[in-house]
Amino acid sequence: MNFSRRELFKVGLAAGTAFSMPSILRAQAGPADARTLRMVMSGDLSVFDPIFTTADITGCHALAIYDTLFSLDSKLRPQPQMVGKWDLSDDKRTYTFELRDGLIWHDGTLVTAADCVASIRRWAQVDSGGKLIMERARDISKKDDKTFTIALKEPLGLLLDLLVQTEYYPAMMREKDAVRPATDQVTENIGSGPFKFNAALAKPGASFTYDRNENYVPRREPADGFAGGKVVKVDRAIWDNIADSQTALAALQAGEIDFLQGLPGDLYPVIESDPNLTLQILNSGGYVQCLRMNCLQKPFDNVKARQAMLHLIDQEAFLRVTASDPKFGHVVTSIFGNDGPYSNDENTGWHKKGGDPEMAKQLFREAGYAGEKVVILQPTNIASFSNASQLLADSLRKIGINVELAPSDWGGLIQRRVNKGPVESGGWSIFITDDTNVSLSSPISQIFLSANGEEGWYGWPKSEEYESLRAQWADTETFEERQALARKMQRAWWDFAGDVYLGQIVAPIARRKTLTGMIEIQSNLVPMWNIQRD
Amino acid sequence: MGIYILRRMISAIAVMAMVGFFIFLLLRLAPGDPAAIIAGPTATEEMIAAIRESMGMNDPMPIQFMRWVRGILGGDFGTSIFAGRPVLELMAQRLEPTLSLSILTMILSVTAGVSFGILAAWRTGGLVDRLLTAFSALGYSIPVFVIGYFLIYFFAIRTHWLPVQGYKPIEGGLGPWFTHLILPTLALGLGFIAFIARVTRASMLEVLSEDYMRTAAAKGASSYAMLVHHALKNAGVPILTVIGISFAYMIGGVVLTETVFNIPGIGRLVVDAINNRDYPIIQSVLILTSGLYVLINLTVDLAYTLIDPRIRY
Repeated sequence: MNFSRRELFKVGLAAGTAFSMPSILRAQAGPADARTLRMVMSGDLSVFDPIFTTADITGCHALAIYDTLFSLDSKLRPQPQMVGKWDLSDDKRTYTFELRDGLIWHDGTLVTAADCVASIRRWAQVDSGGKLIMERARDISKKDDKTFTIALKEPLGLLLDLLVQTEYYPAMMREKDAVRPATDQVTENIGSGPFKFNAALAKPGASFTYDRNENYVPRREPADGFAGGKVVKVDRAIWDNIADSQTALAALQAGEIDFLQGLPGDLYPVIESDPNLTLQILNSGGYVQCLRMNCLQKPFDNVKARQAMLHLIDQEAFLRVTASDPKFGHVVTSIFGNDGPYSNDENTGWHKKGGDPEMAKQLFREAGYAGEKVVILQPTNIASFSNASQLLADSLRKIGINVELAPSDWGGLIQRRVNKGPVESGGWSIFITDDTNVSLSSPISQIFLSANGEEGWYGWPKSEEYESLRAQWADTETFEERQALARKMQRAWWDFAGDVYLGQIVAPIARRKTLTGMIEIQSNLVPMWNIQRD
Repeated sequence: MGIYILRRMISAIAVMAMVGFFIFLLLRLAPGDPAAIIAGPTATEEMIAAIRESMGMNDPMPIQFMRWVRGILGGDFGTSIFAGRPVLELMAQRLEPTLSLSILTMILSVTAGVSFGILAAWRTGGLVDRLLTAFSALGYSIPVFVIGYFLIYFFAIRTHWLPVQGYKPIEGGLGPWFTHLILPTLALGLGFIAFIARVTRASMLEVLSEDYMRTAAAKGASSYAMLVHHALKNAGVPILTVIGISFAYMIGGVVLTETVFNIPGIGRLVVDAINNRDYPIIQSVLILTSGLYVLINLTVDLAYTLIDPRIRY
């Protein structure tokens, strides 16, 4: 087969057209509209009801569309948000709250005290702090359309803190939504917050759109943490769900998105080398990684074996595999986390020598360890936990412990961790998880910090001494008294070694430099107000 | 022919039923609890148990299975545990991106693969053949995600010619739709081009060595007539088989490509569903995929009769 010159010319012309096509189409790949914020959050929003889950992504969704009675400021103090005025009776048993003016649901109806009462009751079905309020409450009822009261059987000085330092986002919902049981998800995303959920543009698994709530009346105070005026400076925020980190990073570099949360640490250098991008720490407390041991089964039913783990763990070694850069990883020795109001150095002698395998070996011997299998649940789809699990297995093997890694995804792990039985019956010995550093300041609602045995969280540590101290927390009136109590609690905790910390990891977000006004607060929830694109 | 098609359709239903049964069983036996995933990482056992109860997941497995089968027979593929929307609705939302990517990739793969194969066979042993063989080896051995990142780097980040990720529906205009599909199609298609080109070359070489080809050349037939009218037609059955297999394999490749290029298609839907243990979605997608496999095989079998009149059913 021979080609004529004319045919070659045609082929050349066609090829030229094809190769020039991208430049013709270039305009279509341009950056998003200036008043539209494009964000990639950490995780896929699949549950919309903040009373149904503790997932951070649902909390972020709730923060956008639902308002709260009080909000945390940047110093982690409760400040009025939906509440205009509040008052505490002389006998300290009755709180009266009056809603501020201008509160309107996204469907156009007015926010009433009855809505708030129903919302508190729903939230209190699941949240530890809420449950405590309900235990102490004699009555929660509305006085008029804008006023309601919480009448207590006995004073509860921490009430306002309990309303803001929560496991479940204390969203105020319409009464007709809030009367549903906490186990029955709300079906409409109607709040009174600064953003409205655009249900028509919702593409589950792909993207969600939030529009500025033009009826929202912000408080007059400047934005401060979650508190103050929630002034929205964009018309629309779109959450794109980009599952692959490398692709999300490329989209950020190309200007297709403005904000990226949950970027793996090994990609930080790419951000730092790009003149248009920057890393920013919004949550300076980050996470604390925690090693939970099954205290019901051998060998960790013996306190000596648990103490052995305290001496074995070299947090700096773990941080090298979990935090990509030393500046984003810190050793944490207080059960109340780092730099918190109750952080202290009581009973932290175990830490002074760093990892001490010889001491750990001796303690395992004293615990009567006889070669029982130690099963570490390894969630392979969470790199940080997976790497830490491998390092832990290696550290234990080096001191003669019979270790088996049980790899699965996180979904498999959370099903298996329910099993309280021995490893031979599908049980487990250790798994690694985390929670925010800031949550460790609240031993009432923080799940790691309970030691009530099988009634508590996975691992089921039990210490009557510690629990009796924890029970005093809510009734301790002054900050100084709580600090003193915190020291006693920490002494007890590290003695019975309820769990072991592996370090604090601070994860910066990545953003384009044109994005300004991001609010910094010790929380994993990302506020979208105050942000603007230049 | 009609009876043959009917028989194949009945066997397709049987295959889908068996797939459905095994998928249902495997999902329940595999570790993972959707209630625990929904409740969040720090939820208590009581909250997880309450969610499980409210979703009917504590019912005995046979009851859950019968409920599911009854739904399917009535055209109801269930409701997503997480999204709370009908599975069919979610699948319908994701169908267009996947179909767009698959069809474009198939068009590219068949056109380029068959052309390259013919060209290589025609110039066997020459520079073109060696170059195409090298290209085929590369295209076949480089994973989709490597090609994807490479394309993104050059055509999106460096030059800004094309978008990095995402999908624009066809109703929003052909331009944006096509622009967003160029890189994914190239990334997904390269392996299939290589595969089809290699098989086409081998089939063509076999046919080109036949006596009747030599006779055609002796009678003065042009190269074009020899290659396309005589050789390609006779080499068509294995090529068609490979195209059918490629289309079936593409369903797997689409998952990775959709992830790399962030295309909200069926592949991404099922990957997310597996991570979340969203049983109704996984079951429905896999059943329909198995049906699609059977349909592709049937179509290929019927297409044989078009290119080889000796084949009859």
